Amino acid sequence: MAEELSREELKEKVVEYLKTVDKAKNKDIATKLGVKKREVDKAVNELAKEDIVEFLYIGTSYVKLKDK
Amino acid sequence: MTNVAKTDIGPPLYKDQLPEIIKNNYGQWKYHEHVKPGVLKHVAENGDELYTVRVGSPRLLSVETLRWFADLADKYCDGHLRFTSRHNVEFLLTDASKIDALIEEVEAEGWPVGGTGNSLKNLIHTQGWIHCHSAAIDASGIVKSVMDDLYDYFKKDDLPAKLKISLACCLNMCGAVHCSDIAILGIHRTVPKINDEEVSKACEIPNVVASCPTGAIRPNPKKKSVTINEEKCMYCGNCFTVCPGLKIMDPDNDGVAIFVGGKTSNARSGPRFSRLAIPFIPNEPPRWDSTVKAIRNLVELWVENARPGERYGEWIERIGWEKFFDMAGLPFTDKHIDDFIFSVPTFRSTTQFKY
Amino acid sequence: MAKKKRPLLDQLKEGKYPSFVKEMEKMAEKKPAVEDHLNLLERSYEDKTVHWKHGGIVGVRGYGGGVIGRYSDLGDEFPNVKEFHTMRVNQPSGWFYSTETLRKLCDIWEKHGSGITNMHGATGDAILLGTTTEHLQPCFDDLSANGFDLGGSGSDLRTPSACVGPARCEHACFDSLDLCNHLTQEYQDELHRPMWPYKFKIKISACPNDCVSSIARADMSIIGTWRDEIRVDQDMVKEYANNGKDIEGILASCPTDCISYDTEKKEINIDNENCVRCMHCINKLPKALRVGKEKGATILLGGKAPIVQSAFLSWVIVPFMKLESPYDELKDLLERIWDWWDEHAKVRERVGELIYRKGMRVFLKEVGLEPDARMVKYPRANPYIFWWPEEVQQND
Repeated sequence: MAEELSREELKEKVVEYLKTVDKAKNKDIATKLGVKKREVDKAVNELAKEDIVEFLYIGTSYVKLKDK
Repeated sequence: MTNVAKTDIGPPLYKDQLPEIIKNNYGQWKYHEHVKPGVLKHVAENGDELYTVRVGSPRLLSVETLRWFADLADKYCDGHLRFTSRHNVEFLLTDASKIDALIEEVEAEGWPVGGTGNSLKNLIHTQGWIHCHSAAIDASGIVKSVMDDLYDYFKKDDLPAKLKISLACCLNMCGAVHCSDIAILGIHRTVPKINDEEVSKACEIPNVVASCPTGAIRPNPKKKSVTINEEKCMYCGNCFTVCPGLKIMDPDNDGVAIFVGGKTSNARSGPRFSRLAIPFIPNEPPRWDSTVKAIRNLVELWVENARPGERYGEWIERIGWEKFFDMAGLPFTDKHIDDFIFSVPTFRSTTQFKY
Repeated sequence: MAKKKRPLLDQLKEGKYPSFVKEMEKMAEKKPAVEDHLNLLERSYEDKTVHWKHGGIVGVRGYGGGVIGRYSDLGDEFPNVKEFHTMRVNQPSGWFYSTETLRKLCDIWEKHGSGITNMHGATGDAILLGTTTEHLQPCFDDLSANGFDLGGSGSDLRTPSACVGPARCEHACFDSLDLCNHLTQEYQDELHRPMWPYKFKIKISACPNDCVSSIARADMSIIGTWRDEIRVDQDMVKEYANNGKDIEGILASCPTDCISYDTEKKEINIDNENCVRCMHCINKLPKALRVGKEKGATILLGGKAPIVQSAFLSWVIVPFMKLESPYDELKDLLERIWDWWDEHAKVRERVGELIYRKGMRVFLKEVGLEPDARMVKYPRANPYIFWWPEEVQQND
């Protein structure tokens, strides 16, 4: 993906992606969306603070949509 | 939403938790002395004196006891106290005349003062059966039993050097015991039992396969589960950590292994790992008599034979491991020879040894 | 209901050392969950095994760490510990508490949980042991309102911890408490929201005695040291000598034989160029000998417990770094290391294991550190020397 996404656009894309899966690792989200993991980390942090996603720990970290 | 909790505020600021004498002499301490076992005296550049009374604790504390500690700190220490990385409670006094009254009050309730200088330090340990899902042994019960037995060594400070004993209830080692003078470690000895249904429901197969350090786990696509090559399994339990369907606990075979000779300080010799002395002692609740006895023997052997100032591992290095096994009356077995990935540098490639 | 008898645990109320069973019984009178906890533990003592299961998703709003989900596998029989989660509360640097702060913590925990704690866990947090899912958020709300926050868990930055440092120790080579607090505050996101391949621990000791065992228990071990000369107070040497201290005996253990005692003059002489700053002489003669004045820390990386590829002790990556607030050089290095590790590590691969897999050569180049002979015990013995492409002549 060549164009620069704003943080809000990226957050939307992360949420859209999470709707299609049970749970995902940030690294995989970054690969799927073609952006840097660091950017996904920041977006997921904000989504967590907004209570939209939650973390899941099964040996390593996953994120999932809250109440999904 | 009303009243939403603030996040990311971090811990209470340490500066607000310090007693006046420390605020006044922060970074200005000149030297310290050992007044008597369990009591330290720190002297500042300006001559201020701070006395520390160290009290051993089982780590697991009720809020009732914590409040009693707070009462004591109000009475004797102007309302401040601290804990140490080995679960001791430290009362910080400015008035030397109050030390004995504090010690008397603390010990009257059964809390020991000690653990400073060349003493047995308070045991550090993990959760064990109190609150862990992967424990091979209990933690608190063994620690209690060992400390009851070695109590006098905590109260006195005339050992050859300091003695740090630590316990971790499985080899995840939340307690990082691997550099202790004596380490008590919970081990499993049998292959995890595969619950195919639970594996298929609760576990990510690629993660489970990747979790195995010896490559013993393979996918079993038919059952959406895994298989384990029993010959390769070394019972580390890493797969169980990532997958609850691979239960590794085995009451008949889990137990204690004892390692000796580690240290982390740089004094004289550098930090080093503890090494295997006793590969297995069965779980013996509630008092773990064989483990307690084995540790007493190891401690006494060192007390009788080490030179002043020698930590456990420094003493063994001087006399040699073959001598240590002889003197301890411990059999040296195939279990003692490393066969994991960094083994070769531990083999002896010299003709220098003792009989 | 009549109270269950616990003949096995009762035996752990005997003996001189404080009994954790008595501690639990203090709360069991008020808290049915602790009564069940004791009964469950008695069962473990009968069965010689654990009765706890893996955690599920539990936590507080906005965080991914700080709460450890715990469920009993005998929840029907012991319903009050069916859910019995742990909350990790970030400790103040150096584990200092005013009694006011400590009492607040006690009151919150008695209101929302079992009233059983661990002071403290191996990582450094105050551990609040046992509450139900529904109490987690209210407990956190009260903690937060009273100035507390949660520590780390899972694949995140674990709660940093530090030795007592300049608060009560003459050996401190930098302000371990301030650094610990600074890093904890600076990296709240990394602490509370697990984004990494695995955990990352930081432990801080202000001198080479390493009282928090950082070298064995942390991915990044920050250990105080100095570069100039040990300070000697010859008057105090004489005082020790006059009091019968075995100065020669103590100095005989110097690992580099760089220190000597003049029995006639009652003076200590040090060949500082050959001193390795082990602390032995300073520890034994603290009135006479002190660490130097040019102080800082050695930064070591890679320490961990055995899972998976054996236990490692951290190794030197920066022999000497000045550490003064705001610690920009250290934070810059830390962030470069995290980025490199996060990009290259496999799931559950600690930074030390990644360096082992990739090689120090690659690590040093990619995080921008210069090789230094102080990083190794020995240079390479094998001939398998790797070269960067620009270091050899390229033949087409």
